[in-house]
Amino acid sequence: MSSAQFEIQLIASLVAIACAIPGTFLVLRKMAMISDAISHSILPGIVIGFFITQDLNSPLLILLAALTGILTVVLVEYIQKTGLVKEDTAIGLVFPILFSIGVILIAKNANDVHLDVDAVLLGELAFAPFDRLIISGVDVGPKSLWVIGIILIVTIGLLIAFFKELKVSTFDAGLAASLGFSPAVIHYGLMSVSSITTVGAFDAVGAILVVALMIAPAATAYLLTNNLKRMLLYAIGFGVFCAISGYWLAHGLDASIAGSITTMLGIVFLFVYLFAHNKGVIAVLYREKQQRTEVSLLTFLLHLKNHSEESERHVNHLNEHINWQKVRSKTILDLALKNNMIQFDKNIVSLTEKGEDFTTQAIDYIITNEDGKIEHMKDDFFLFRG
Amino acid sequence: MSKNIAVKVDDLTVAYNYKPVLWDIDLEIPEGVLMAIVGPNGAGKSTLIKSILGILKPIAGSVEIFGMSYAKQRHLVAYVPQKGSVDWDFPTTALDVVMMGTYGSLGWIKRPGQKEKKEALEALEKVGMLAFKNRQISQLSGGQQQRIFLARALVQNASIYFMDEPFQGVDATTEIAIINILKELRKAGKTVIVVHHDLQTVPEYFDWVTFLNVKKIATGPVKDIFNDDNLTKTYGINYKVSIQE
Repeated sequence: MSSAQFEIQLIASLVAIACAIPGTFLVLRKMAMISDAISHSILPGIVIGFFITQDLNSPLLILLAALTGILTVVLVEYIQKTGLVKEDTAIGLVFPILFSIGVILIAKNANDVHLDVDAVLLGELAFAPFDRLIISGVDVGPKSLWVIGIILIVTIGLLIAFFKELKVSTFDAGLAASLGFSPAVIHYGLMSVSSITTVGAFDAVGAILVVALMIAPAATAYLLTNNLKRMLLYAIGFGVFCAISGYWLAHGLDASIAGSITTMLGIVFLFVYLFAHNKGVIAVLYREKQQRTEVSLLTFLLHLKNHSEESERHVNHLNEHINWQKVRSKTILDLALKNNMIQFDKNIVSLTEKGEDFTTQAIDYIITNEDGKIEHMKDDFFLFRG
Repeated sequence: MSKNIAVKVDDLTVAYNYKPVLWDIDLEIPEGVLMAIVGPNGAGKSTLIKSILGILKPIAGSVEIFGMSYAKQRHLVAYVPQKGSVDWDFPTTALDVVMMGTYGSLGWIKRPGQKEKKEALEALEKVGMLAFKNRQISQLSGGQQQRIFLARALVQNASIYFMDEPFQGVDATTEIAIINILKELRKAGKTVIVVHHDLQTVPEYFDWVTFLNVKKIATGPVKDIFNDDNLTKTYGINYKVSIQE
């Protein structure tokens, strides 16, 4: 692995981390679309900044672009507040207009310089190592590595300092306000960080990949955990994994690095979506099947409990009485037997003591819906896990 | 009853999009009462609470908590929002939500430690939810979620408690558990203000009541002013409520 290859992967990984942190909160605030809006509408800020400084890496450019990002959020909220259109419509109105202003500015005034719409949208990670930062004659590494590195350090610092405030205002803005943590301040703080990260990353990886790196890892992590800190760590992990594996995918296919990283993000999300332990599609299907079986079991036990007459409890008549298919009856019967809930006496089925207890408790729960008494049953039965 | 005024609202007018939802409200809530705010849908009950707490900005009027602005008296006030106002799929546990109640006294940046955790566990025990402390909040029933919110307010150890429809969507057992805690708070000298919907239970649960419908209709002791006349004025129809003595 050459040093250029290493630098590309390092830059991609740092961008992934810097995006995953604000991205997690955007996903939780149901504001994923706003990152899309910001990533496009910073263009006029970048262009104007470039006209003033003639330097794509100038801090002023980042500042101006971040301000356009904030302007986007303000405009979206203002239009939304009129009550005439919904938030998604407001987003759809604002960012194409700002973006096209940027496009026109480039077309009119900057056609001959290295600043074009493709570069902004798609970026080119492969070129990142060629643009070096040289301090008093010494090569200290690629410029974009420094830009994104500094943004990342600031982001992590802010996250650690304001984690509690971010959490409470994201979960319950009303409480945050009544406790004195202005939700507006935190909101615009998060929007500023998102804007600055987008601007810092766009030159290296492009606006589309920034959106993908903000939303996909957080959405994937959300499927796997019920803990905010872990969600942040998982999102960072997924982002870095996709950045590096995407790089090697691009290397193997000789394709665009940003495109390959985004593809990896999609694949990883799909994988987790299918196989996640709790919320994944397969887990949900399995749970539903188990619940069906358990409901059947309970129906069967209840039948035994309610009918003392032997004709109702003869093994050969069970099908007719509960009106089930043979296969199903067999499954349920085996399940009950395995759990020592029923016993046979000359083909007559009856409840064991354990079966009696279980049925009583289960029915009690279904009627009273009181959770406390059946805590111990939750481990064995899906039915009682709410 | 002490004669101190816990909450004083003066000429408060609040508008959404320049359409007033609260007109010129004057209200004095004495310290140590357990007060219901009643009124029809859209009467501005939640808006009144949110304006007192500085969550909404009024277009006119002022609010005093024990004689000073809310911003100065924040530490004396706890707030229980409507259960439906938050996303219960948020990745966090019951204990963590209760801990959020301690954030106010911590202030910016400082993080909760063992002391805050201990307080949160005590509050969970008070509302009978200690066994659920590590449960993800979406795995709790509606009544349990409301108890968590109540515990979060208890942890704030405030003098005045504002609650927005704490009985909404909870079963009878939880309702009784909650009202018992509210009565205990009053016994401890706290002031409790509750947005309430069930008129039948007002005389049983509360000792003070405010009738609200965009304007203030009446405020005072339940035994003096909770009558058909005020109910009719508030709800606009001929209202009959049988008051159990």
